[in-house]
Amino acid sequence: MNPGWILPLVLLLPALFAGAGLLAPSQRAALRFITFGTLASAAAAVAAAAIALSRAGELTALGAWLMVDALSAYHLLVMAVVFALSGLYARSYFAHDAESGELSLRTARRFTALWFASMAAMHLVLVSNNLGLMWVGIEATTLVTAFLICIHGTPTSLEAMWKYLLMCSVGVALAFMGTLLVAASTHGSGVEGASALLWTELRDAAARLNPKLLKTGFLFLVVGYGTKAGLAPMHNWLPDAHSQAPAPVSAIFSGFLLNAALYCVLRTLPLVEALPGNAGWGREILIAFGLISILVAAVFIIAQHDLKRLLAYSSVEHLGIVALGVGLGGLGNVAALFHILNNSVSKSVGFFCAGSIGHLAGTHDMRRINRVTALSRIWGVGLTGSLLAIIGAAPFALFLSEFLIVYTAIQQGHTVIAAALLAGLALVFVGALRHLISITWEPLEGPVEPHRGTLIEGAIVFVPLTALLVLGVWVPAPFWSLLERAARILGGAS
Amino acid sequence: MTLPVDTILVIVILTGFLILGTARLITAIRLSAIQGVCIGLLPVAASAEGTSVRVVLLGLAIVALKGVVFPRLLRRAIRESRTSGEMQPYVGTTASVITGILALIAAFWIDARMDFLPDTHSLVAPAAFFTIITGLFLIVARKLAITQVIGYLVLENGIYVFGLAIAMEVPVIVELGVLLDMFVAVFVMGIAIFRINREFNHMDSDQLRNLKG
Repeated sequence: MNPGWILPLVLLLPALFAGAGLLAPSQRAALRFITFGTLASAAAAVAAAAIALSRAGELTALGAWLMVDALSAYHLLVMAVVFALSGLYARSYFAHDAESGELSLRTARRFTALWFASMAAMHLVLVSNNLGLMWVGIEATTLVTAFLICIHGTPTSLEAMWKYLLMCSVGVALAFMGTLLVAASTHGSGVEGASALLWTELRDAAARLNPKLLKTGFLFLVVGYGTKAGLAPMHNWLPDAHSQAPAPVSAIFSGFLLNAALYCVLRTLPLVEALPGNAGWGREILIAFGLISILVAAVFIIAQHDLKRLLAYSSVEHLGIVALGVGLGGLGNVAALFHILNNSVSKSVGFFCAGSIGHLAGTHDMRRINRVTALSRIWGVGLTGSLLAIIGAAPFALFLSEFLIVYTAIQQGHTVIAAALLAGLALVFVGALRHLISITWEPLEGPVEPHRGTLIEGAIVFVPLTALLVLGVWVPAPFWSLLERAARILGGAS
Repeated sequence: MTLPVDTILVIVILTGFLILGTARLITAIRLSAIQGVCIGLLPVAASAEGTSVRVVLLGLAIVALKGVVFPRLLRRAIRESRTSGEMQPYVGTTASVITGILALIAAFWIDARMDFLPDTHSLVAPAAFFTIITGLFLIVARKLAITQVIGYLVLENGIYVFGLAIAMEVPVIVELGVLLDMFVAVFVMGIAIFRINREFNHMDSDQLRNLKG
């Protein structure tokens, strides 16, 4: 039997769960369903990735419309981790609301349906070989996640939702123009008709594509998908949406939605780079956007007082680092892919802890949050740990991936780029550390009863953080070879 | 076969100018509907000799969506939000029309520069660029959330014409997916406007400015 059958399943499972979520009999059932359905869908994605990786070439299905290779398999694995953690966390985050009656059954059902729909849309982005279908997936993620932001219906969350909806729709519309231009570049290259949008066909014919059309298309794709990926200067919507959404949603936004959009840019990069005599053109654009994102985010992080907005700006910074790493190519590709996992995991945990601390402290203003470890062992220690990881403190894996990118830049002789990157990282480190010290060490005003967490809550905080610590000092050989395999698809001199 | 295509494209450009020049919301919605219908007819007119079932069906779907469904959704959003029916522009109508003229010049200039586009109708690409610029301008230069949706529709119209300009075949499933996404987008935006209005008692997007920094 052709193992490609797993790919439609990866799409269908969350889509079916989305429908089933509307039938949930009670709030508690809906929350339980989110946890188990998410784990099941993530398991299907992991299985698909494993099957694809066990083969030499790519895994295709439905007449090559669906395809998983090492690059998409790796993204599927990262997504599975982020969603599994967020699914487990959603239950504990909403449990309080469900008991106090703040979460109505209607809202719970709608949340469940939209949660799984967003999962299905992101899977579609990752498994589609057709650039048009990939676009449909990205636009669908915007539409289904818009209402996840304002599930509580507060005025500020509505404002954030409107900005997100409009800016991302317009950005993604420009990405569609880019997709059309890429398809048009196949004129006279031997790729005809319906296969003009298939990535595998485009890759095989890359040397014969029309260079001007492809390059124009790439520019539109970078700006369009870059808006959705939160690359500066198109990032304005991001801090609002990420800070106003409920914490489990913030986690999937920062932890994976941004990466899904950047993935679309990474897909088209090797096509542009394969144009004869054009090596380095697309990479320079990524380097530029990466550096701008890092520096803009650093400035906003220094002046930030809202905990969740701080994490959101940190996502702008880290996506910038990924873009920069891929822009450098070679070892930078591997380091950037490594950084994707590190950022997604640490940012998810960061949002979990920030959300729960926000519940306990009643605010996200870091000037009014003190001694988080006394408020709650799990969330307090988790917040301190994840913030340390996010700003790149030494033994965590983010330090290693950032170090590798700086090393690549210096080795390639890009001293200015390395200096700018280091300056950005230093600004973020100092700026965020100041807040970190104040929320961790400043004494509380009165005595508080520390919040007691459950075993699962402890697990979703400390298992990922421990994994990041281990990866920071020892990268298992099979994992490194997976990174290298995915990085080869991105091309570039090594 | 040139005549109907050119006529339709001229109507598309004219409706763009009229949307820029109107101060009334309901007129702008009507004009965007007319533009949408023209867009739907365009591929049918362009392939007059060998009209296939696929082209006709897609054309019909677009006409139904852009000519009937979207205007209805938008009109309902206006009715439920009880606005004055004025556009409340940041940039006045006269200045907007002048911007439109500049946009048209820019569109022809871009077309002349982009000589690498495959040979098609002389007017298709400029009309596409003009409509895209108009849509983006409407999004930034009008105050009400609903006019931003109209701007988004105009932008999408422009991109659709652009797709015709570069004369390539998009598979039906992808095209249907794009249409479905657009439909949901306008639907979602409609609900969003309704909820914003209920919460704020207005739908000025310039009042949406509590989130900063």
